[in-house]
Amino acid sequence: MPIPQQFARGDRMGRGPYEKSGLISETSLHPGKTKKEHFEIFYPEGLTDLDVTVKLWYLPYGTMASDPFLWREVNKSVSISKEGK
Amino acid sequence: MTTKKIKTVWVWTAMIALALSIPLTALAAGIGKEGRIVNKKGKANTIAELVAMYDSSSCIECHQEIHDDWALSVHSRSIYGTGRTAATFRTSVVNGLQEWAFSGVKGPKDVQVEHLMGCAKCHLPQLADANDSVAKELIASIYNWMDAVRAGNDKVRIVEENKLKSLNINCLVCHNRNAITHKWTDGYPQKGVVYGSTDGEHPSDAFPTMKKSAIMGESILCGQCHGLGPNLELDNPTQCATLYGSYLWSYTAEGGRETCQECHMRKSGLGHNMQSYRDPGLAEAALDFKVQTSGFHWRDASNIRPYVAVDISMTNKAGHVIPDG
Repeated sequence: MPIPQQFARGDRMGRGPYEKSGLISETSLHPGKTKKEHFEIFYPEGLTDLDVTVKLWYLPYGTMASDPFLWREVNKSVSISKEGK
Repeated sequence: MTTKKIKTVWVWTAMIALALSIPLTALAAGIGKEGRIVNKKGKANTIAELVAMYDSSSCIECHQEIHDDWALSVHSRSIYGTGRTAATFRTSVVNGLQEWAFSGVKGPKDVQVEHLMGCAKCHLPQLADANDSVAKELIASIYNWMDAVRAGNDKVRIVEENKLKSLNINCLVCHNRNAITHKWTDGYPQKGVVYGSTDGEHPSDAFPTMKKSAIMGESILCGQCHGLGPNLELDNPTQCATLYGSYLWSYTAEGGRETCQECHMRKSGLGHNMQSYRDPGLAEAALDFKVQTSGFHWRDASNIRPYVAVDISMTNKAGHVIPDG
């Protein structure tokens, strides 16, 4: 998400469009560009089969409490060998 | 000096000033401004007058399908939005204008057209064709609507909601008022003319002429509002949409050649129901999303723990940054 800078100065994020005039940080997806994310998850104790659900949310107002939009959801079942040492 | 002589001097001074002002007026930048809708009708004093000034209801008779498509888009309720847009106008008054020492706004009654143009530049560009009384009425309506929502007063809420929904980006905003960006090159949009893709007669009493707009199929038409970033021409710059900026510098700069209209109107099949991520087709088309998982046994010295690595790849296939507006 573009993190807008309050009045284009300093380190504070702007609250609304009337305060925004710059960028502090920018993590948006840019046209034609690929972004990669990597996550590492330990299986819960005793399990060798794991269902992984990846959800991509668009949060227009920055939190799940306000108008969240589920853009993509992918489910994967991941199993590992049950034998060996 | 006698009183008569003083009067004579003042009369001559006034006449000289008048004589000087005539050529100055004639030389004002731009030719043809007097033919614009606002010049022909005069600035609006009420919301009702502003709605009437840009009334495009007569378009429905022949363009019902296009109208129905448009009515599904947020262009048809650009001030009200989902309700959140109207609420943000109030926030911009309370947390913005009233807090800024030099805005001249102590309360909602002090709000003038110029104070609202940071928002209205895109949400209601025709507000520039209204007097300050319309700005005050608009803010009063938003306050009344929000108070009615909080109080559960449906009667007032519906009245104010309908008033706010009467203000929008309709046919005449895109096909007349904002149909020409380069007015010294292509002329000022004229009252009675519908700007589109062709020249000719237009079977309408109110709009008897069709003229080709050089930008109707170009991204800059949309870029007027879905903009470049901070609007530095304002006394207190704002930044809402930056989409046209990313279209120019991230998309076309990398070889992209499609226009806003090609994706959001033609390829999507949505026509004048211009949507973004809330349309399933556009949401799907905009992003390539891949997930790869691999499970294995993680060995930390003698401690072995099952482990999964999740690799996610996201490629933006739109012509602009996501998210943006």
